[in-house]
Amino acid sequence: MSEQISALIDDEIAIEDAAYLITMLQSSKKVAEAWSQYHLIGDSMRGDNNLSANFKQNLMQKIDLEPTVLAPNATLGGSGEGFKLHHKVPASWSIAASVAAVMVVGWMALHQTTQVANGLVADAQSESVTSAIPAEYLLAHQTTAPSGSAYYIQTVSYSK
Amino acid sequence: MKYFIAACLLIGASLGAQAASDDDMWQALQKTAVAARALSYQGIFVCQSGKQTKSVQITHMFTDKGEFSRNVLLDGTPRQLLSQGSDLVIYNQKNEKVVIEKRHGQNMFPAVLPTNLESIRANYALHIGDAERIADRQAQIYLLESKDGLRYSYKLWVDSEYGLLLKSVLLNSHNEVIESIAFNQVALMQVGGLDWFRPKIDSKKNYVMEDEVPTSADTGVVNAWSIKELPAGYRKVDQMIRMVHGKTLPVTHIVFSDGMAYVSLFIEPANLKTKASTKATQAVVGNTSYYMNVTDGYQITVVGEVPEITAAQIGNAVIFNK
Repeated sequence: MSEQISALIDDEIAIEDAAYLITMLQSSKKVAEAWSQYHLIGDSMRGDNNLSANFKQNLMQKIDLEPTVLAPNATLGGSGEGFKLHHKVPASWSIAASVAAVMVVGWMALHQTTQVANGLVADAQSESVTSAIPAEYLLAHQTTAPSGSAYYIQTVSYSK
Repeated sequence: MKYFIAACLLIGASLGAQAASDDDMWQALQKTAVAARALSYQGIFVCQSGKQTKSVQITHMFTDKGEFSRNVLLDGTPRQLLSQGSDLVIYNQKNEKVVIEKRHGQNMFPAVLPTNLESIRANYALHIGDAERIADRQAQIYLLESKDGLRYSYKLWVDSEYGLLLKSVLLNSHNEVIESIAFNQVALMQVGGLDWFRPKIDSKKNYVMEDEVPTSADTGVVNAWSIKELPAGYRKVDQMIRMVHGKTLPVTHIVFSDGMAYVSLFIEPANLKTKASTKATQAVVGNTSYYMNVTDGYQITVVGEVPEITAAQIGNAVIFNK
Protein backbone atom coordinates (compact mmCIF):
# COMPACT_ATOMS: atom_id res chain seq x y z
CA MET A 1 0.00 0.00 0.00
CA SER A 2 2.73 2.50 1.00
CA GLU A 3 4.55 1.84 -2.28
CA GLN A 4 1.42 2.65 -4.21
CA ILE A 5 0.98 5.90 -2.29
CA SER A 6 4.57 6.81 -3.02
CA ALA A 7 3.96 6.04 -6.69
CA LEU A 8 0.85 8.20 -6.70
CA ILE A 9 2.78 11.14 -5.23
CA ASP A 10 5.48 10.67 -7.86
CA ASP A 11 2.85 10.70 -10.64
CA GLU A 12 3.65 7.10 -11.49
CA ILE A 13 0.00 6.11 -11.17
CA ALA A 14 -2.60 7.87 -13.28
CA ILE A 15 -5.17 9.66 -11.19
CA GLU A 16 -7.89 7.80 -13.08
CA ASP A 17 -6.48 4.49 -11.80
CA ALA A 18 -6.13 5.68 -8.24
CA ALA A 19 -9.76 5.66 -7.15
CA TYR A 20 -9.07 2.75 -4.79
CA LEU A 21 -6.09 4.55 -3.21
CA ILE A 22 -8.03 7.75 -2.77
CA THR A 23 -10.84 5.87 -1.05
CA MET A 24 -8.24 4.35 1.26
CA LEU A 25 -6.83 7.81 1.94
CA GLN A 26 -10.23 8.97 3.06
CA SER A 27 -11.06 5.94 5.17
CA SER A 28 -7.77 4.74 6.68
CA LYS A 29 -5.97 6.97 9.14
CA LYS A 30 -2.75 5.01 8.60
CA VAL A 31 -2.79 5.51 4.86
CA ALA A 32 -3.56 9.19 5.24
CA GLU A 33 -0.60 9.55 7.61
CA ALA A 34 1.69 7.86 5.11
CA TRP A 35 0.42 10.25 2.45
CA SER A 36 1.24 13.32 4.50
CA GLN A 37 4.61 11.99 5.62
CA TYR A 38 5.70 11.20 2.06
CA HIS A 39 4.79 14.71 1.06
CA LEU A 40 6.82 16.18 3.90
CA ILE A 41 9.80 13.99 2.97
CA GLY A 42 9.47 14.95 -0.67
CA ASP A 43 9.25 18.64 0.20
CA SER A 44 12.31 18.53 2.40
CA MET A 45 14.33 16.69 -0.26
CA ARG A 46 13.36 19.21 -2.88
CA GLY A 47 14.25 21.99 -0.47
CA ASP A 48 10.75 23.44 -0.39
CA ASN A 49 10.00 25.45 2.68
CA ASN A 50 7.36 24.19 5.03
CA LEU A 51 4.08 25.96 5.21
CA SER A 52 4.26 28.78 7.68
CA ALA A 53 2.95 28.00 11.14
CA ASN A 54 -0.20 30.05 10.71
CA PHE A 55 -0.88 28.87 7.17
CA LYS A 56 -4.18 27.30 8.14
CA GLN A 57 -5.46 30.44 9.90
CA ASN A 58 -4.40 32.63 6.97
CA LEU A 59 -6.05 30.29 4.51
CA MET A 60 -9.26 30.21 6.53
CA GLN A 61 -9.28 34.02 6.76
CA LYS A 62 -8.84 34.30 2.99
CA ILE A 63 -11.67 31.84 2.44
CA ASP A 64 -13.93 33.83 4.77
CA LEU A 65 -13.17 36.99 2.81
CA GLU A 66 -14.00 35.36 -0.53
CA PRO A 67 -17.54 36.02 -1.75
CA THR A 68 -19.62 32.88 -1.99
CA VAL A 69 -20.10 31.97 -5.66
CA LEU A 70 -23.34 30.12 -6.12
CA ALA A 71 -22.58 28.95 -9.66
CA PRO A 72 -18.87 28.08 -9.69
CA ASN A 73 -18.92 26.35 -13.09
CA ALA A 74 -20.12 29.49 -14.78
CA THR A 75 -17.08 31.47 -13.62
CA LEU A 76 -14.71 28.68 -14.66
CA GLY A 77 -16.27 28.46 -18.10
CA GLY A 78 -14.50 31.59 -19.27
CA SER A 79 -10.96 30.20 -19.10
CA GLY A 80 -11.12 27.30 -21.53
CA GLU A 81 -8.23 25.14 -20.39
CA GLY A 82 -8.89 25.36 -16.68
CA PHE A 83 -12.42 24.31 -17.38
CA LYS A 84 -11.38 21.15 -19.27
CA LEU A 85 -8.83 20.20 -16.64
CA HIS A 86 -11.39 20.63 -13.92
CA HIS A 87 -13.65 18.12 -15.65
CA LYS A 88 -10.92 15.54 -16.23
CA VAL A 89 -10.21 15.25 -12.52
CA PRO A 90 -12.69 12.98 -10.76
CA ALA A 91 -14.69 14.71 -8.06
CA SER A 92 -13.43 12.25 -5.45
CA TRP A 93 -9.87 13.29 -6.25
CA SER A 94 -10.31 16.94 -5.40
CA ILE A 95 -12.07 16.02 -2.18
CA ALA A 96 -9.29 13.61 -1.28
CA ALA A 97 -6.67 16.21 -2.08
CA SER A 98 -8.26 18.80 0.16
CA VAL A 99 -8.66 16.25 2.93
CA ALA A 100 -4.99 15.38 2.60
CA ALA A 101 -3.97 19.04 2.61
CA VAL A 102 -5.85 19.63 5.86
CA MET A 103 -4.31 16.45 7.27
CA VAL A 104 -0.80 17.71 6.47
CA VAL A 105 -1.45 21.08 8.06
CA GLY A 106 -3.08 19.53 11.12
CA TRP A 107 -0.35 16.96 11.47
CA MET A 108 2.41 19.54 11.22
CA ALA A 109 0.73 21.93 13.62
CA LEU A 110 0.34 19.08 16.09
CA HIS A 111 4.02 18.21 15.90
CA GLN A 112 5.16 21.79 16.19
CA THR A 113 3.27 22.22 19.43
CA THR A 114 4.44 18.93 20.95
CA GLN A 115 8.05 19.77 20.12
CA VAL A 116 7.86 23.07 21.92
CA ALA A 117 6.05 21.54 24.88
CA ASN A 118 8.50 18.69 25.41
CA GLY A 119 11.62 20.82 25.10
CA LEU A 120 15.01 19.23 24.75
CA VAL A 121 16.46 16.44 26.85
CA ALA A 122 20.05 15.26 26.61
CA ASP A 123 20.29 11.90 24.89
CA ALA A 124 21.33 8.99 27.08
CA GLN A 125 23.30 7.31 24.30
CA SER A 126 25.83 10.12 24.05
CA GLU A 127 29.40 9.05 24.62
CA SER A 128 31.65 10.18 27.43
CA VAL A 129 32.95 13.12 25.38
CA THR A 130 30.25 15.22 26.98
CA SER A 131 31.91 15.00 30.37
CA ALA A 132 35.04 16.80 29.18
CA ILE A 133 33.63 19.06 26.48
CA PRO A 134 30.33 20.87 27.11
CA ALA A 135 27.80 19.15 24.87
CA GLU A 136 26.07 22.34 23.77
CA TYR A 137 29.22 23.76 22.15
CA LEU A 138 30.28 20.44 20.64
CA LEU A 139 26.83 20.07 19.11
CA ALA A 140 26.83 23.62 17.76
CA HIS A 141 30.28 23.04 16.24
CA GLN A 142 29.36 19.69 14.68
CA THR A 143 26.10 21.07 13.32
CA THR A 144 27.72 24.03 11.60
CA ALA A 145 31.07 22.52 10.60
CA PRO A 146 30.77 18.74 10.50
CA SER A 147 33.76 16.80 9.21
CA GLY A 148 35.20 13.30 9.08
CA SER A 149 33.40 10.83 11.29
CA ALA A 150 31.12 13.45 12.87
CA TYR A 151 28.54 12.72 10.15
CA TYR A 152 28.20 9.13 11.32
CA ILE A 153 29.40 8.93 14.90
CA GLN A 154 27.42 11.24 17.09
CA THR A 155 29.39 11.89 20.21
CA VAL A 156 26.65 14.15 21.42
CA SER A 157 23.04 14.70 20.51
CA TYR A 158 19.87 16.11 21.89
CA SER A 159 16.62 14.30 21.31
CA LYS A 160 13.06 15.30 21.80
CA MET B 1 85.91 26.35 -8.41
CA LYS B 2 85.17 23.58 -10.92
CA TYR B 3 84.02 21.37 -8.12
CA PHE B 4 81.90 24.14 -6.68
CA ILE B 5 80.06 24.63 -10.00
CA ALA B 6 79.59 20.89 -10.36
CA ALA B 7 78.22 20.73 -6.83
CA CYS B 8 75.87 23.64 -7.55
CA LEU B 9 74.64 21.94 -10.71
CA LEU B 10 74.07 18.68 -8.84
CA ILE B 11 72.13 20.41 -6.09
CA GLY B 12 70.18 22.36 -8.68
CA ALA B 13 69.38 19.19 -10.60
CA SER B 14 68.27 17.31 -7.50
CA LEU B 15 66.15 20.27 -6.39
CA GLY B 16 64.57 20.36 -9.84
CA ALA B 17 63.79 16.66 -9.66
CA GLN B 18 62.37 17.09 -6.19
CA ALA B 19 60.15 19.97 -7.33
CA ALA B 20 58.84 17.98 -10.30
CA SER B 21 57.95 14.96 -8.20
CA ASP B 22 56.37 17.24 -5.58
CA ASP B 23 54.19 18.73 -8.31
CA ASP B 24 53.36 15.24 -9.54
CA MET B 25 52.28 14.24 -6.05
CA TRP B 26 50.07 17.30 -5.63
CA GLN B 27 48.61 16.58 -9.04
CA ALA B 28 47.78 13.05 -7.90
CA LEU B 29 46.08 14.54 -4.85
CA GLN B 30 44.18 16.96 -7.07
CA LYS B 31 42.94 13.96 -9.06
CA THR B 32 41.82 12.37 -5.77
CA ALA B 33 39.88 15.50 -4.79
CA VAL B 34 38.05 15.48 -8.13
CA ALA B 35 37.59 11.67 -8.34
CA ALA B 36 35.48 11.54 -5.16
CA ARG B 37 33.04 14.03 -6.70
CA ALA B 38 33.13 13.18 -10.41
CA LEU B 39 33.12 9.36 -10.28
CA SER B 40 30.05 7.20 -9.72
CA TYR B 41 30.60 4.45 -7.21
CA GLN B 42 29.06 2.40 -4.46
CA GLY B 43 30.56 0.62 -1.54
CA ILE B 44 30.76 0.18 2.19
CA PHE B 45 33.18 2.08 4.38
CA VAL B 46 33.95 1.78 8.06
CA CYS B 47 34.32 4.84 10.19
CA GLN B 48 36.21 4.73 13.48
CA SER B 49 36.58 7.42 16.08
CA GLY B 50 37.33 6.91 19.75
CA LYS B 51 35.77 3.62 20.80
CA GLN B 52 33.01 3.78 18.22
CA THR B 53 32.88 2.06 14.84
CA LYS B 54 30.16 2.50 12.23
CA SER B 55 29.70 0.91 8.81
CA VAL B 56 28.25 3.11 6.10
CA GLN B 57 26.85 2.12 2.73
CA ILE B 58 27.52 4.80 0.13
CA THR B 59 26.03 5.29 -3.31
CA HIS B 60 27.49 8.24 -5.19
CA MET B 61 26.53 9.29 -8.69
CA PHE B 62 27.71 12.15 -10.84
CA THR B 63 25.16 12.95 -13.52
CA ASP B 64 24.54 15.86 -15.86
CA LYS B 65 22.34 17.25 -13.09
CA GLY B 66 25.21 17.23 -10.60
CA GLU B 67 26.38 15.16 -7.68
CA PHE B 68 24.05 12.85 -5.76
CA SER B 69 24.96 10.76 -2.77
CA ARG B 70 23.14 8.52 -0.31
CA ASN B 71 24.91 7.31 2.81
CA VAL B 72 23.12 4.75 4.98
CA LEU B 73 24.42 3.83 8.42
CA LEU B 74 24.41 0.06 8.76
CA ASP B 75 25.23 -0.15 12.47
CA GLY B 76 23.33 1.15 15.47
CA THR B 77 20.46 3.63 15.26
CA PRO B 78 19.28 4.06 11.65
CA ARG B 79 20.55 7.23 10.03
CA GLN B 80 20.52 8.19 6.37
CA LEU B 81 22.26 11.08 4.68
CA LEU B 82 21.15 12.27 1.25
CA SER B 83 23.13 14.96 -0.46
CA GLN B 84 22.76 16.85 -3.68
CA GLY B 85 25.81 19.00 -4.27
CA SER B 86 26.55 20.52 -0.89
CA ASP B 87 22.93 20.38 0.30
CA LEU B 88 22.64 17.62 2.83
CA VAL B 89 19.48 16.17 4.36
CA ILE B 90 19.90 13.79 7.30
CA TYR B 91 17.16 11.38 8.41
CA ASN B 92 18.07 10.80 12.00
CA GLN B 93 16.03 8.25 13.91
CA LYS B 94 15.39 9.21 17.51
CA ASN B 95 13.22 6.74 19.39
CA GLU B 96 9.75 6.84 17.80
CA LYS B 97 10.56 9.73 15.48
CA VAL B 98 12.73 10.41 12.50
CA VAL B 99 14.11 13.94 12.65
CA ILE B 100 14.87 15.51 9.29
CA GLU B 101 17.92 17.74 9.57
CA LYS B 102 19.26 20.06 6.87
CA ARG B 103 22.97 20.68 6.69
CA HIS B 104 25.65 22.08 4.49
CA GLY B 105 27.82 19.07 3.63
CA GLN B 106 31.57 19.54 3.41
CA ASN B 107 34.60 17.25 3.34
CA MET B 108 32.44 14.11 3.45
CA PHE B 109 34.42 10.91 2.91
CA PRO B 110 35.75 10.09 0.32
CA ALA B 111 35.61 13.77 -0.73
CA VAL B 112 37.71 14.88 2.26
CA LEU B 113 40.03 17.00 0.13
CA PRO B 114 38.76 20.33 -1.20
CA THR B 115 39.12 20.76 -4.97
CA ASN B 116 41.24 23.85 -4.40
CA LEU B 117 44.39 22.54 -2.71
CA GLU B 118 46.13 25.90 -2.40
CA SER B 119 45.68 26.42 1.35
CA ILE B 120 46.46 22.77 2.00
CA ARG B 121 49.67 23.09 0.04
CA ALA B 122 50.63 26.04 2.21
CA ASN B 123 50.07 24.20 5.48
CA TYR B 124 50.90 20.57 4.81
CA ALA B 125 53.91 18.78 3.32
CA LEU B 126 53.15 15.88 0.99
CA HIS B 127 55.14 12.64 1.06
CA ILE B 128 54.67 9.48 -0.95
CA GLY B 129 54.53 6.16 0.90
CA ASP B 130 54.22 2.47 0.06
CA ALA B 131 51.67 0.74 -2.11
CA GLU B 132 49.00 -1.26 -0.27
CA ARG B 133 45.85 -3.21 -1.07
CA ILE B 134 42.63 -1.71 0.33
CA ALA B 135 39.10 -3.02 -0.37
CA ASP B 136 40.46 -5.29 -3.14
CA ARG B 137 42.00 -2.27 -4.88
CA GLN B 138 45.64 -1.33 -5.35
CA ALA B 139 46.37 1.85 -3.42
CA GLN B 140 49.20 4.35 -3.16
CA ILE B 141 49.81 5.84 0.27
CA TYR B 142 50.37 9.59 0.66
CA LEU B 143 51.20 11.37 3.88
CA LEU B 144 49.80 14.87 4.27
CA GLU B 145 52.02 16.05 7.08
CA SER B 146 51.34 19.10 9.23
CA LYS B 147 54.16 21.61 8.71
CA ASP B 148 53.86 23.22 12.12
CA GLY B 149 51.97 21.16 14.69
CA LEU B 150 48.98 23.51 14.47
CA ARG B 151 46.95 20.83 12.68
CA TYR B 152 46.79 17.06 12.55
CA SER B 153 48.41 14.98 9.78
CA TYR B 154 46.58 12.68 7.35
CA LYS B 155 47.58 9.38 5.83
CA LEU B 156 45.70 8.83 2.59
CA TRP B 157 45.31 5.63 0.56
CA VAL B 158 44.55 6.53 -3.06
CA ASP B 159 43.30 4.10 -5.73
CA SER B 160 46.22 3.69 -8.14
CA GLU B 161 43.93 3.50 -11.15
CA TYR B 162 40.99 5.83 -10.52
CA GLY B 163 42.46 8.18 -7.94
CA LEU B 164 39.54 7.62 -5.57
CA LEU B 165 40.37 7.97 -1.87
CA LEU B 166 40.06 4.49 -0.34
CA LYS B 167 41.17 5.17 3.21
CA SER B 168 41.90 8.22 5.34
CA VAL B 169 43.54 8.22 8.75
CA LEU B 170 43.98 11.20 11.06
CA LEU B 171 47.24 11.24 13.06
CA ASN B 172 48.11 13.34 16.09
CA SER B 173 51.57 14.74 16.81
CA HIS B 174 52.61 11.42 18.39
CA ASN B 175 51.67 9.63 15.15
CA GLU B 176 48.74 7.94 16.89
CA VAL B 177 45.60 7.21 14.87
CA ILE B 178 42.76 9.34 16.23
CA GLU B 179 40.26 8.74 13.44
CA SER B 180 40.01 6.34 10.52
CA ILE B 181 37.62 5.98 7.59
CA ALA B 182 38.20 3.20 5.05
CA PHE B 183 36.34 1.38 2.32
CA ASN B 184 35.74 -2.33 2.92
CA GLN B 185 34.46 -2.73 -0.58
CA VAL B 186 33.96 -0.31 -3.41
CA ALA B 187 33.05 -0.53 -7.09
CA LEU B 188 32.47 1.95 -9.84
CA MET B 189 28.95 1.99 -11.17
CA GLN B 190 27.17 3.02 -14.35
CA VAL B 191 25.59 6.43 -14.39
CA GLY B 192 21.88 5.75 -14.61
CA GLY B 193 18.57 6.72 -13.08
CA LEU B 194 18.20 8.24 -9.65
CA ASP B 195 15.58 5.76 -8.35
CA TRP B 196 17.95 4.96 -5.49
CA PHE B 197 18.16 8.62 -4.45
CA ARG B 198 15.42 8.49 -1.82
CA PRO B 199 15.43 7.56 1.83
CA LYS B 200 14.12 4.21 3.02
CA ILE B 201 10.88 5.10 4.76
CA ASP B 202 9.77 3.49 7.99
CA SER B 203 5.99 3.84 7.90
CA LYS B 204 5.77 3.23 11.67
CA LYS B 205 7.74 6.38 12.46
CA ASN B 206 6.75 10.01 12.50
CA TYR B 207 8.87 12.27 10.34
CA VAL B 208 9.47 15.74 11.75
CA MET B 209 11.64 18.64 10.73
CA GLU B 210 14.38 19.57 13.18
CA ASP B 211 13.74 22.71 15.23
CA GLU B 212 15.78 25.31 13.44
CA VAL B 213 18.34 26.99 15.64
CA PRO B 214 17.78 30.71 15.15
CA THR B 215 20.86 32.18 13.54
CA SER B 216 21.54 35.50 11.91
CA ALA B 217 24.43 36.87 9.93
CA ASP B 218 26.95 38.73 12.05
CA THR B 219 28.44 41.76 10.38
CA GLY B 220 30.81 42.22 13.29
CA VAL B 221 30.60 46.02 13.09
CA VAL B 222 29.56 46.86 16.64
CA ASN B 223 31.38 44.10 18.52
CA ALA B 224 33.34 44.91 21.65
CA TRP B 225 36.08 42.56 20.52
CA SER B 226 38.24 41.86 17.49
CA ILE B 227 40.34 38.92 16.39
CA LYS B 228 44.08 39.35 16.16
CA GLU B 229 46.73 36.91 14.92
CA LEU B 230 45.14 33.59 14.17
CA PRO B 231 47.28 30.44 14.15
CA ALA B 232 49.14 30.23 10.81
CA GLY B 233 47.07 28.96 7.89
CA TYR B 234 43.66 29.35 9.52
CA ARG B 235 41.11 31.77 8.14
CA LYS B 236 37.52 32.65 8.96
CA VAL B 237 35.02 30.70 6.86
CA ASP B 238 31.76 31.55 8.63
CA GLN B 239 30.39 33.91 11.25
CA MET B 240 26.91 34.04 12.78
CA ILE B 241 24.92 34.90 15.86
CA ARG B 242 23.08 31.87 17.17
CA MET B 243 21.33 30.35 20.13
CA VAL B 244 23.22 27.60 21.95
CA HIS B 245 21.25 25.02 23.92
CA GLY B 246 20.93 25.97 27.56
CA LYS B 247 21.99 29.60 27.02
CA THR B 248 19.52 32.45 27.37
CA LEU B 249 21.56 35.00 25.41
CA PRO B 250 22.64 34.64 21.77
CA VAL B 251 26.23 33.61 21.14
CA THR B 252 28.59 34.77 18.40
CA HIS B 253 29.84 31.68 16.52
CA ILE B 254 32.85 31.98 14.19
CA VAL B 255 34.23 29.03 12.17
CA PHE B 256 37.88 28.86 11.08
CA SER B 257 39.47 26.37 8.71
CA ASP B 258 42.81 25.61 7.06
CA GLY B 259 41.03 23.69 4.28
CA MET B 260 41.02 20.35 6.11
CA ALA B 261 40.39 21.04 9.81
CA TYR B 262 37.51 23.09 11.26
CA VAL B 263 37.41 25.01 14.57
CA SER B 264 34.53 26.89 16.16
CA LEU B 265 34.96 29.96 18.36
CA PHE B 266 32.07 31.05 20.58
CA ILE B 267 31.98 34.47 22.24
CA GLU B 268 29.27 35.43 24.74
CA PRO B 269 28.82 37.64 27.80
CA ALA B 270 30.15 35.69 30.79
CA ASN B 271 27.79 34.23 33.34
CA LEU B 272 28.26 35.80 36.77
CA LYS B 273 28.92 32.38 38.31
CA THR B 274 31.74 31.51 35.91
CA LYS B 275 33.35 34.89 36.46
CA ALA B 276 35.02 33.65 39.63
CA SER B 277 37.16 31.08 37.82
CA THR B 278 39.52 33.10 35.68
CA LYS B 279 41.73 30.14 34.84
CA ALA B 280 41.54 28.80 31.29
CA THR B 281 40.13 25.28 30.89
CA GLN B 282 41.42 22.85 28.28
CA ALA B 283 40.59 19.30 27.24
CA VAL B 284 41.33 16.92 24.39
CA VAL B 285 38.97 14.03 23.67
CA GLY B 286 39.79 11.87 20.65
CA ASN B 287 40.24 14.24 17.73
CA THR B 288 38.46 17.17 19.40
CA SER B 289 40.08 19.93 21.44
CA TYR B 290 38.30 22.27 23.82
CA TYR B 291 39.44 25.58 25.30
CA MET B 292 37.48 27.92 27.55
CA ASN B 293 38.47 31.20 29.15
CA VAL B 294 36.76 34.20 30.71
CA THR B 295 38.21 37.66 30.05
CA ASP B 296 36.79 41.17 30.30
CA GLY B 297 33.34 39.85 31.13
CA TYR B 298 33.18 37.57 28.12
CA GLN B 299 33.32 33.81 27.92
CA ILE B 300 35.42 32.46 25.05
CA THR B 301 34.95 28.83 24.03
CA VAL B 302 36.83 26.99 21.28
CA VAL B 303 35.89 23.52 19.95
CA GLY B 304 37.38 21.78 16.94
CA GLU B 305 39.23 18.89 15.36
CA VAL B 306 42.63 20.52 15.90
CA PRO B 307 45.53 20.14 18.38
CA GLU B 308 44.94 21.86 21.72
CA ILE B 309 47.62 24.49 21.00
CA THR B 310 45.58 25.68 18.00
CA ALA B 311 42.41 25.87 20.10
CA ALA B 312 44.25 27.92 22.74
CA GLN B 313 45.78 30.25 20.11
CA ILE B 314 42.37 30.93 18.61
CA GLY B 315 40.95 31.60 22.07
CA ASN B 316 43.78 34.00 22.84
CA ALA B 317 43.39 35.79 19.49
CA VAL B 318 40.23 37.49 20.77
CA ILE B 319 41.14 41.00 21.91
CA PHE B 320 38.70 43.30 23.71
CA ASN B 321 38.58 46.93 22.72
CA LYS B 322 38.90 49.11 25.78
